[in-house]
Amino acid sequence: MSAAFRSRYWVIALACVWLIQFVAIDQVDPYYFSIIMYAGINVVLAVSLNLVNGFTGQFSMGHAGFMSIGAYTAAYFSKNMIAADPQWATGAMSSVLILGALLTGGLTAAFAGLIVGLPSLRLKGDYLAIVTLGFGEIIRVLILNIETVGGARGYADIPLLSTFGWVYSWVVFTLFVIWRLVHSPPGRALMSVREDEIASESMGVNTTRTKVGAFVIGAAFAGTGGALFGHFLRYLNPAIFDFNRSFEFIIMVVLGGMGSITGSAIAAILLTVLKEALRPLQQLTQIDFRMIIYSLLLIALMLTRPNGLFGRRELPSLMSALKLRRKREESVRGAS
Amino acid sequence: MKALCAKSLTMQFGGLKAVSGLDLEIPEKVIFGLIGPNGAGKTTAFNMFTGVYRPTEGSIELYGKPAVGLRPFQITRRGMARTFQNIRLFKELTVEENILVALDQNPNMAQSGFFEALFRTSSHISKESAKHQRALDLMDIFDLASRRNLPAVNLPYGDQRRLEIARAMATGAKLLLLDEPAAGMNAQETRALMETIRMIRDKFGMTILLIEHDMKLVMGVCERIAVLDYGVKIAEGTPSEIQRDPRVIEAYLGKGAASHA
Ligand SMILES: Nc1ncnc2c1ncn2[C@@H]1O[C@H](COP(=O)(O)OP(=O)(O)OP(=O)(O)O)[C@@H](O)[C@H]1O
Ligand SMILES: [Mg+2]
Repeated sequence: MSAAFRSRYWVIALACVWLIQFVAIDQVDPYYFSIIMYAGINVVLAVSLNLVNGFTGQFSMGHAGFMSIGAYTAAYFSKNMIAADPQWATGAMSSVLILGALLTGGLTAAFAGLIVGLPSLRLKGDYLAIVTLGFGEIIRVLILNIETVGGARGYADIPLLSTFGWVYSWVVFTLFVIWRLVHSPPGRALMSVREDEIASESMGVNTTRTKVGAFVIGAAFAGTGGALFGHFLRYLNPAIFDFNRSFEFIIMVVLGGMGSITGSAIAAILLTVLKEALRPLQQLTQIDFRMIIYSLLLIALMLTRPNGLFGRRELPSLMSALKLRRKREESVRGAS
Repeated sequence: MKALCAKSLTMQFGGLKAVSGLDLEIPEKVIFGLIGPNGAGKTTAFNMFTGVYRPTEGSIELYGKPAVGLRPFQITRRGMARTFQNIRLFKELTVEENILVALDQNPNMAQSGFFEALFRTSSHISKESAKHQRALDLMDIFDLASRRNLPAVNLPYGDQRRLEIARAMATGAKLLLLDEPAAGMNAQETRALMETIRMIRDKFGMTILLIEHDMKLVMGVCERIAVLDYGVKIAEGTPSEIQRDPRVIEAYLGKGAASHA
């Protein structure tokens, strides 16, 4: 696996994000703009879930729960900061505020990940899936009953801090951290746990710490995804983070390929677009087609590509495979 | 100092005593054989030594320090690593990655911290290349270098067994527990494996405790042998002592192995 994805590529990606932010983003139609934003946020969520489900092999179904914790705490943080000093909503101060909100959302979600992960990662397979599913529901009901964040009415008037530049900078940052993590010693430990936990432990890997670590990092990024989400939609409601939401992220991971960061990112974008494309149909017929389409998509996928679109392949190795093929074709042409 | 010292180890599964009152001392740099008929409790003994099972009774000392109650990963980091009777490689990872997973936990290798790895600092890069070099050396020893980028699951059986040993060595452990390392190998592969086992002891000062049914291998390579039968140690001694021991012959009687005596 090509681990070399050099630092300069990440810097170039960041530069492109801010170039688009300052030059082109105003020209984008608001409807498409919102799709682009949700796609980016979903990339953060899908890639972070893949760390747990794909790379570590622990089936978590509670990603929306961590997302909601991040969304609510981050929104609570920024609203209160602005209430204390309206200056925070303006100019450079707002950039500091969004970073603070990301930090708040990420850290609280990470803490929740630790609390859930420590006891439940002793469980395997289906049991872990059920516990994390239950956790997601508990969080939702809990928030429903917290009046300070609006309870069932929802939490409104969240400042608009998620600009294109910040959302996509965070996408790049998330991809960077998870990519580097996976292609380094801790990442090899994660994959060894997925492959064979007993063997992994026998090779000196502290499997408990490894699993909890992956879970906490996954939860942290889910929290930041929630933070970005809240500061873009500017309104939160517990119903947004129901089981269907967790299920969507799982589909993204499975569709893209468990264990492929590239796959999760592309699947997140594809499904975000697909969901929007289906909206007119849904409004026309008053039926929520999404779940039907998702199910069909999954069935079709399992029949044709059981490892997802990408399996475990990544962009750099795909590119080098393409290059190799082109070279071979050229040499064949040269020979004839 | 002994590499491993077990005193009156007992493992009870419900009504079955898989191992009972086992005393075993493995001196350093010795190749030690643990033999016995099927179901004698050999693998169970390994599982107790390596912390997979907690013994019902008895004590274990690893390089002079008590080891009961430690988790398997802690035991490995203290210098004892194992292979598995039913191969447990990281199937989808390559040969090299299998070895790297173990090298990442090796207390004798320089390990990079999380942030070093994140920012690919020059010290991280040099630590990684040291690991790749060490992995290459191990693959050379075990004749795996030509397959370094193959997923472990695609290896022929004999290669998988050797990769398990290479991986156990990569942990930095000085004491290796090999559970039927020659199972499924042909005669020629088995002979080569004997050579390799001897070589890693001579060259790297490894201590080796191995379970094996292939009597040719056991008698040929082991300097000392203990025999288990129904969970009880019935004999211990040099290969020629074991071959002459009437209780051992009786335990193996009808299994054809006694004819080696
Ligand atoms: N986890 C367990 N629970 C219950 N019984 C077990 C367990 N593990 C092993 N046993 C039993 O303990 C006895 C010893 O098994 P063990 O695997 O140690 O034998 P062995 O000497 O390694 O045999 P073989 O040569 O066939 O590998 C057997 O009767 C086995 O069925
Ligand atoms: Mg056995």
